[in-house]
Amino acid sequence: MDRICSKEKKASIAVYVPAESDFVLKNSLVTAWPGDAGEAVLEGCFPAQSVWAEVGKRLIRKRSAVLGLLLIVLLCLMAVFGPEMNRYTYSEQNLNRKNLAPGVQILEKTRIINEEETPEIKYWFGSDGFGRDIWTRTWVGTRISLMIALSAAMINMVIGISYGMISGYFGGRTDMLMQRFLEIVHGIPRLVVITLLLLVMRPGMMTIILALVLTEWMGMSRVVRAEVLRVKEQEFILASRTLGAGSIRIMVREILPNSLGPILTQVMLSVPAAIFAEAFLSFAGLGIPAPQCSLGSLIFDGFNCFTLYPYQIIPPAAVMVMLMLGFYLTADALREVLSLKR
Amino acid sequence: MAEDKKEKPLLEVEGLKQYFKINKRHTIKAVEDVSFAIYPGETFALVGESGSGKSTIARSIIRLYKPTAGTIRFLDMDISSRISRRENHLLCTQMQMIFQNPTASLNPRKRIETSIGEGLDIHHSDWSKNRRREKIMEMLIKVGLSSEHAACYPYQLSGGQRQRAGIARAMILQPKLILADECISALDVSIQAQIVNVMKAIQQETQTAYLFIAHDLSMVNYISDRIGVLHRGHLLETGTTKELFSHPIHPYTKSLLSAIPTLNPAEGKKRMSVSYDYSTSGINYDEGEYRLVGGSHMVKCTENEFKRWC
Repeated sequence: MDRICSKEKKASIAVYVPAESDFVLKNSLVTAWPGDAGEAVLEGCFPAQSVWAEVGKRLIRKRSAVLGLLLIVLLCLMAVFGPEMNRYTYSEQNLNRKNLAPGVQILEKTRIINEEETPEIKYWFGSDGFGRDIWTRTWVGTRISLMIALSAAMINMVIGISYGMISGYFGGRTDMLMQRFLEIVHGIPRLVVITLLLLVMRPGMMTIILALVLTEWMGMSRVVRAEVLRVKEQEFILASRTLGAGSIRIMVREILPNSLGPILTQVMLSVPAAIFAEAFLSFAGLGIPAPQCSLGSLIFDGFNCFTLYPYQIIPPAAVMVMLMLGFYLTADALREVLSLKR
Repeated sequence: MAEDKKEKPLLEVEGLKQYFKINKRHTIKAVEDVSFAIYPGETFALVGESGSGKSTIARSIIRLYKPTAGTIRFLDMDISSRISRRENHLLCTQMQMIFQNPTASLNPRKRIETSIGEGLDIHHSDWSKNRRREKIMEMLIKVGLSSEHAACYPYQLSGGQRQRAGIARAMILQPKLILADECISALDVSIQAQIVNVMKAIQQETQTAYLFIAHDLSMVNYISDRIGVLHRGHLLETGTTKELFSHPIHPYTKSLLSAIPTLNPAEGKKRMSVSYDYSTSGINYDEGEYRLVGGSHMVKCTENEFKRWC
């Protein structure tokens, strides 16, 4: 302060000489602690929010993400509890009551459905050609579709991350060989793989999961490889290596956390893709064997009698649309939130 | 310095060549026959224009590249060829690096504490949590950060603070040699001074040697004990800072030194920059040999050139 004063005096103009009070912070946002006698305290300790906490916060603020997550949670809950909500099981047949229309109290009052046709026993979504309750079957189908899709996505994630990570990190000849192998596997059509698989294995959930894993892991490994190639040239990897970190440590501790964004998005996107693939297989008749059902097989059943009983196709199709919409919305929001630069 | 010379050098680089093969026809000769030594506790600066091979030398020393020819000896072990696990462990704890870009050299997904403590986690995994934490706090204070910064993420710090964290990470294992690869070029001038002063203070306390790579000559004049001038991969002139700044021999060094701006504007107007162009200068670096000028002052030239310049 002295220095400033002397300088100003030297200028020999009648200048304002600053007083001590000028150097006390006025009206500042910096708060004084009570009892400190007006002494200004700078915020020294600021909470460091973890990256993921912040991502979560931003995600909650996005409307599409909340809608997507709500849809997913709601449908998952229904997949768990839906089948238990009435007294029918998914395989229980009653041939006296086949192809009944949805029997919901409100619908009867609107006289859309003839009252004489509706029996005393109500099927909420109606019954199918074997007199099975479509409500129960829809939610059981959702459950199976979700199980197939989620487990396929998880296994894909594990295989894809390890394969892409090794291929991208070590590079050179390893990368070349692994990528050529991937291209060869990629060249085999999915339908061929699945039909061949069904020849040697019993049709069922495991077979479908295996089929989906065999054909879907490549996309994930490509995403991971691209991310590894992007991250591994950065200086902090070099710093880690000069500190003596081994390859596995660098891959798990340094590269993986920095490439989680695109990986998470890819996982989220691979779930609806797996649901759709499963539905496609069921539709083609290669899916879950009866009396078990999945969304795809239910849609196929509804499609077969679509001209006579059009309401049978609506519940599974609507659930599938909502499920895929939920995952796509969430994945899209997640991608946007995670790719934001600080 | 004279006593230091009698000591054993910490790092000896002899005839280091580093070529990069682009394809069958093209080979880039990044470093051509470079020899120098660094003694314990001193600061050796490598200066030269962009692309002269400064960073390549540092990266060869830290074993990121395999040298095409020549040997690098550190603490009496040859580190230019394959080394054992034990030697590698020793190397990682005794030689560290401070990077040019403080933002890129810290993992954005890790707290400062985790980044700084990585060396401890790798080499002293038996340390208790308390001891590790204490050591990290001690390092933070030493480089001029406060213990609150431990919980921060890199994006919450300024460039200067990030570079301090980078120094703390390099220093935490108490290495004998630190390679500072343009560690202040990405910072603004006032921060550069702070960082250099932190480095000097730590050097006085721990007797760490620095290989300081820079192109800012006034900063080099301030921090270094000895200087090596690089051009096109050749080490043209080495000597103590005093020898080199007061009595430059090689035309390239003269040209470099003439480019330093002066503080006094009246003198600055008189300053003449000496231009230097390798292709028209008639000097062939490949023919030159190291010749002693006096003291520790060496210059790379042929005998004719030596007579002409001195």
